[in-house]
Amino acid sequence: MAKKNFSNSYIFIYSAVLVVVAALILTVVSVSLKPMQTKNQQAETKQMILKTIGIESTRDNAAKLYAQHITESTTPSGLPYYTYSEGVIIPLKGTGLWGPIWGYLALDGSSNVVGAVFDHKGETPGLGGEIATDKFAHRFIGKTMDEHPIYLTKNAEKDNPYQVDAISGGTMTSNGVTAMLEKAFFDYRDLTEEREEDEQ
Amino acid sequence: MKNTDLIKLPFSKNNPILVQVLGVCSCLAVTAQLKPAVVMAISVTVVVALSNLIISLLRNTIPPRIRIIVQLVVVSTLVVLVDQVLKAYMYDVSKQLSVFVGLIITNCIVMGRLEAFAMVQKPWPSLLDGIGNGLGYSVILITLGFVRELFGSGTLWGYPVVEKLGLYSIGYENNGLMIMPPMALILVGLIIWWHRSRNKDLVEQ
Repeated sequence: MAKKNFSNSYIFIYSAVLVVVAALILTVVSVSLKPMQTKNQQAETKQMILKTIGIESTRDNAAKLYAQHITESTTPSGLPYYTYSEGVIIPLKGTGLWGPIWGYLALDGSSNVVGAVFDHKGETPGLGGEIATDKFAHRFIGKTMDEHPIYLTKNAEKDNPYQVDAISGGTMTSNGVTAMLEKAFFDYRDLTEEREEDEQ
Repeated sequence: MKNTDLIKLPFSKNNPILVQVLGVCSCLAVTAQLKPAVVMAISVTVVVALSNLIISLLRNTIPPRIRIIVQLVVVSTLVVLVDQVLKAYMYDVSKQLSVFVGLIITNCIVMGRLEAFAMVQKPWPSLLDGIGNGLGYSVILITLGFVRELFGSGTLWGYPVVEKLGLYSIGYENNGLMIMPPMALILVGLIIWWHRSRNKDLVEQ
């Protein structure tokens, strides 16, 4: 470090210039990369939704497959949901330990889960972050959302249609998933009940 | 100090984790699996090297009274930049990395090397010092990630090694403690113990 004496005005000007230069660089990069980032994110959402009904897609063909298989709708109360050939896909939104978590749940005509995907912004990898794995999502298949929301618990009983094994070391995230499922259950109850009546 | 030492020493005698005891926090947080550990290792190496270089170039103009702020601005700018580029061009990698970006900005190794080295050294040695320390950090991180994923989840880079070896069918079980942060601390402790026993001159009296 040079043992120079810096005047106060030098310090002010120096920091101002530094911050402006940094801000400029970041702004230019952010604005120029934004379209590509948005495209990636939209494609990812479509990939997730397709995955719940068992269609694997790549980032490139997601938009096309999505247009073929999925229709977007809204409930009478204005909540978004999606329909596919055999039922509905409901979006889930909630909070984990560190930030937002979300997912999609594909239900058949009698509210049985045919597929699920989850993702998160910043849960701990290997712990709460495990909700984004196929291994976790597959635990939901065959469970049901008909009269009671699905919930996560320790040592879930295999035959209980409302219980799913929680993640060891990821209790806070698991609680977030349970809360998210409960909220979706009440938000979309009209939708699932209505469909059941339709079919009777 | 010779330039080759700048790269070599951080691997053992001056390892940022084992000897300087910097960056332990992120080292516990990201090593439950091998992949994030490797991604984190690469990103920290890039950030330490570049921020060392930039701060060293600026070192004679930086007023000492605001040097920490200047360092922080440079480091955060670099980290955000890396994150933005990854999000646009390598979306999958950025998904792995996103959690750790904040951790890189606050990683003690970055600030530690800037304060201890880049502020008083020429750009070229500073760049080497950054690369050396980044790699020294990487070695420990990857070792931990390897051990913890293998024994904690029975996989390596997501590949089910233990299952393929057929160990589950003869009664083997994963060690749940391995995926918890405390176990990383215990493992780091064991590595430091082993390292000190081989390098007696590092033991404090």
